[in-house]
Amino acid sequence: MTTTAPLLKINHLQKKFGKFEALKDIDFAIYPGEVFGFIGPNGAGKSTTIRVLLGILKASGGSATIFGQDVWQDSVAIHQRLAYVPGDVYLWPNLSGGEIIDLFLKMNGERHSAKTDALIKKFELDPRKKARTYSKGNRQKVALIAAFSTDADFYIFDEPTSGLDPLNEQTFQDEVLVLKQQGKSVLLSSHILSEVEKMCDRIGIIREGTLVETGTLAEMRHLTRTTIDVQTQQATPELATLPGVHGLTAKHGENHVNLAVDADQLTAVMQYLTAHQLVTLTSTPPTLEDLFMRYYAQPNDARTVDGK
Amino acid sequence: MTQLFKRTGLLIGLNLKRDRKKLLIWILVLAGLFASIAAKFDGIYGTQSAIDTIVKTLKTPAMVSLFGAFTAKAPYNTAKIFATEMVVFMAIVMVIMNIMLAVGTTRGDEDDGLLELVRAHAVGRLAPLLAGIVELTGVNLVIGVLFGLGLQVAKMPGADTTGNWLVAVGLAALGWFFGMLTLALAQLADNASGATMLSYAIFGIMYIARMSTDVSNPDLTWWVPFGWIEKMSVYQRNDWLPVGCFLLLGLVFLGLAAILNSRRDLGAGWLATRQGRQQASPWLRGPGSLLWRQSRGVLLAWVIGNVALGASYGSIFNTIGDLAKSNPMIKKLLGASALAAANRVIVKNFIAILAIVIVVVALIPAVQLMLKLVSDENKGYLHQVYATATSRWAVWASYTGWALVSGLGVFLAGLVGMYVTGRTMMTQPIQWITYWHVFLAYAPAMLLMIAVTSWLASWVPKWRYLAWAWVCYGFFSLYLGSLIDLPKWAKQLTPLGWVNKVPMKAIDWPTNWWLLGLTVLVLAIASIGYRRRDLAQ
Repeated sequence: MTTTAPLLKINHLQKKFGKFEALKDIDFAIYPGEVFGFIGPNGAGKSTTIRVLLGILKASGGSATIFGQDVWQDSVAIHQRLAYVPGDVYLWPNLSGGEIIDLFLKMNGERHSAKTDALIKKFELDPRKKARTYSKGNRQKVALIAAFSTDADFYIFDEPTSGLDPLNEQTFQDEVLVLKQQGKSVLLSSHILSEVEKMCDRIGIIREGTLVETGTLAEMRHLTRTTIDVQTQQATPELATLPGVHGLTAKHGENHVNLAVDADQLTAVMQYLTAHQLVTLTSTPPTLEDLFMRYYAQPNDARTVDGK
Repeated sequence: MTQLFKRTGLLIGLNLKRDRKKLLIWILVLAGLFASIAAKFDGIYGTQSAIDTIVKTLKTPAMVSLFGAFTAKAPYNTAKIFATEMVVFMAIVMVIMNIMLAVGTTRGDEDDGLLELVRAHAVGRLAPLLAGIVELTGVNLVIGVLFGLGLQVAKMPGADTTGNWLVAVGLAALGWFFGMLTLALAQLADNASGATMLSYAIFGIMYIARMSTDVSNPDLTWWVPFGWIEKMSVYQRNDWLPVGCFLLLGLVFLGLAAILNSRRDLGAGWLATRQGRQQASPWLRGPGSLLWRQSRGVLLAWVIGNVALGASYGSIFNTIGDLAKSNPMIKKLLGASALAAANRVIVKNFIAILAIVIVVVALIPAVQLMLKLVSDENKGYLHQVYATATSRWAVWASYTGWALVSGLGVFLAGLVGMYVTGRTMMTQPIQWITYWHVFLAYAPAMLLMIAVTSWLASWVPKWRYLAWAWVCYGFFSLYLGSLIDLPKWAKQLTPLGWVNKVPMKAIDWPTNWWLLGLTVLVLAIASIGYRRRDLAQ
């Protein structure tokens, strides 16, 4: 009942397929009432992690628990309080969307409610069509409606909006915020960084089967660089040699440059720049995209540059 | 015009690469089976007395219903026996192969969304269809040539080169014709399983029609395309007309397929899918009812199909069980009641042979349902089911349970069909208890085969298709086994071979009990395996 006990706890999780190590070392926790963003490039092991959490795959090493129960041994008990939407939704072709939604609800011991109808309306799904005729987005809606109308404690979304139009994406985000307000926990795996940025309390970045970073976005921002676009009256020849300055490029106009600065060197660089009399200055905080690129593009120095 | 067929060659290469294992297995098994049986025939039907005996058997209505009208004229020889015994059986196998390949190459690809990707490239509108046509033509051609070479090498007494090639080309032409027919039917249905069902329904109707015309009036068999294969007078007049008819009608269906294909949208069919329900019905609530909801149409079709098959067999009981018809003296010799008893023995003997057909037909939907456990997993349908509070055991038990029940149900339906028409046709009908004994005799063997299929699906899903090989072997070893003198151990490679010849003989209860015990054991092991393994990615 204490808020500090994690709802989901993963300890050094490993999964091998023959010789291939899909998951090398996954280690994170999700706490009640938290929306956790799970990001990483294709093939990094996001979906494999989720499938281990669902008891579809058996872990080769380490442990994972949800609600304090083992994900493999007690999967049925866990699933009673869990809802899941996969990235690729496959539905039985000769059942209608409405039938499938009800079926999923019943398999969790729930039933079709007014909320279900409201969600069908909100997502603008035609429930009478056979699943065979649904597009990818519509199949995702079926799974989303079933998940959102389930009264669960923990929701897992694996790239749930990849086929949705912007309006439905907005509906999805609204619904997740409602869950958050109700104190439910969410694991959201996504490639759409704006979505993660907007909704997630904490983020975990996975790369080649290893969780390389976890933390709040603010914490992570702290570890990265601010982009500065600046024009000064005097020339700034020493700028390139200052510590913490990266990617210095000359722009159109006199003494007009663009550069990136490490967070811990920001004060020193700003002092240098103001000393050369500013004309204009715009600074852009690092976006998740920058972070993302940073972790993905440079596999080896990602940790060292952080100053850790 | 060339735009329509652009890059057909590339697609053919792709299809062959994808299907190479399947094609190779079909070609090797079919050609090997055909050639080895032909080579063995001289040993089985080498002497004139053996030939005379089998001719008498083949002339009985029971055998005519299974193998076609006996049209060979004296002097009888080994080759003529071969042509009568083998043609219909091989034709059935050729039809099954062509339906599978034709559906796979058209609707199969379309259902998987592959065709959409292909068509998005600079590929002609009709190129995928043409690639399918070429693939089917090639396979049938290769099999035909191998059949011909096999017969040439086997050198059966009485065989001549023209006859050898006529049988070979005739079977290939029949196969090709059914391939083209399936391509046309595949344009009508809007999904692969619908196309398969439609094709088998038409094949089933043709098979039953040819059976009843063969028994009543063989001339009428000309009205049934499948029956043309019996009309070639092989090793006698060597009539090529049926081959021409197959090719001609095949071309008509080819054209029809092309026209229908070019006029319809991708993914659509001429028979459209209806709208579904707004909400699920109250009893759709778990994996068991879900499986029923998905497969009820197919299962119902199998039940009706087997009832029809059993009924059509039953409808000829009267003709078969009439000794007096072939020998009027016999009635005076035996007296009316003894004659009726003798007639009933003949019919019971016939039922014992037919039971195997009915059992194998019932095994097809059962094995299909069982293997659906793996294919639904591979297609990703089951992942979401497992994310709900549904246990592995519940899913495994649903699929296995339905497979067992549907196998038994379809089997029973066939026997009921036989009983009902047999009852109306015969003056002194066979009682239901006889059919019930047939059911009790074969049910344990059948259950064991389904249990082993469940074990394959649970422990070694990659090897699940062995189940089909096993069923096919069971059919082959028991349908043809006694005619080609298959040794006892070879028949006992499937549990069906352990069953006594019920209703001629009594039910062998000890065998039944250990088959049932083994079934339970195999099922227990299967359920453990399914609980422990990873699901497909």
